Amino acid sequence: MCDTCGCEGTDGVKIHEPGHTHSHDHGHGHSHSHHHHDHDHDHNHDHEHEHDHEHEHEHEHEHDNMQPHTHSHDETGDHSHSHTDQKVISLNMNILSQNNITAQMNRRFFEGRKVLCLNMVSSPGSGKTTILEKTITNLKSARKIFVIEGDQQTLLDADRIEKAGAPALQINTGSGCHLDASMIDLALKKFDIDSNSILFIENVGNLVCPAMFDLGEFKRVVVISVTEGDDKPLKYPYMFQTSHLCIINKSDLLPYVDFRVDETIKHARTINPDLEFISVSARTGEGMDRWYEWVLKQNSR
Amino acid sequence: MHEFSLATEVINLVQREAQKRNAPVVNEITIEVGSLSGVEAGAFESALKLLSEGSIIENAGLNILRINGIGVCKTCSIEFEMMQRMESCPVCHAFPSEINGGNEFRVISMTIE
Repeated sequence: MCDTCGCEGTDGVKIHEPGHTHSHDHGHGHSHSHHHHDHDHDHNHDHEHEHDHEHEHEHEHEHDNMQPHTHSHDETGDHSHSHTDQKVISLNMNILSQNNITAQMNRRFFEGRKVLCLNMVSSPGSGKTTILEKTITNLKSARKIFVIEGDQQTLLDADRIEKAGAPALQINTGSGCHLDASMIDLALKKFDIDSNSILFIENVGNLVCPAMFDLGEFKRVVVISVTEGDDKPLKYPYMFQTSHLCIINKSDLLPYVDFRVDETIKHARTINPDLEFISVSARTGEGMDRWYEWVLKQNSR
Repeated sequence: MHEFSLATEVINLVQREAQKRNAPVVNEITIEVGSLSGVEAGAFESALKLLSEGSIIENAGLNILRINGIGVCKTCSIEFEMMQRMESCPVCHAFPSEINGGNEFRVISMTIE
């Protein structure tokens, strides 16, 4: 089932190893005409639940050919509908429990190998990939770095990461809007991650959905750029509440925009008083040393 | 739009639990959705109805219980209804408050034959 609109199979998710299996789409005219039917389902269940076992269902559905028709059937058969046979089973189960269990398994895997796993989240275009490119260049001599890239389509980001000098695995979520723990579990089976290394997971650019899905990371890093509004933390509180560090990127553009760093920090701290902040420009390198220090001092156990 | 993937999780969860008990049909499910849980209850209910077609809960009645957010002020300890996550105390206006309800997102029960 597609993660966004429930309209595809799970095969919408693809995992690529750049430079190895390079399964490019070569632009063959292979387009699935993927139109959502507007099911105007008027289910008029005339459920007269009298227990002489006569009830009428009337379904009205409007099909695409716009020829509405009705089905009706009388059921007069021996319809054992005894309510005494019903059992109410108490479950009290967290709906994200399966994701949380898988995330916890991923976390144990990272702990066992002393891998520092950081989940990088942001809206699209905040500069996550550029930050990672610079980080790889500067930290790869200190610690081995691996990257899992999440995007809806293309291998572009994984290619950039490999050029910077770190093995990368690309997860294409198809129409999905976030990574979940099972996708990371699947990626870990394909990706041989060294002990004592750092694994960056670059989540799909989206400040809403990734907040709800624990991947098993040690810490979550939210990136915002000064070209976005300084009220972002108030508009997307879940993401800021579940993150440990906030990187404010593109600081070199501060003279040209109305973004107020102090206001952003104030807003974000009303939601998450423990949130740490580092202001950087990945392009010029300003402030990046503080970020590298932060990464290297994290102890994943 | 994560309500669709969450609805898929619900169907999978109920299916697993029904199979464990050899129940071919689920007649009713009850789900709690807290107002601070990050789940839009209306969108979630629509998603669940749409996805239930052809599944074990196709004909099940859906009880979606909306749970109000409850905050407890860390300064004056008063309990109040929290409409948003970062609401200050209505009495002493202090911040932050502890969330004491409204984070729920769980399947409470199912009815099987």
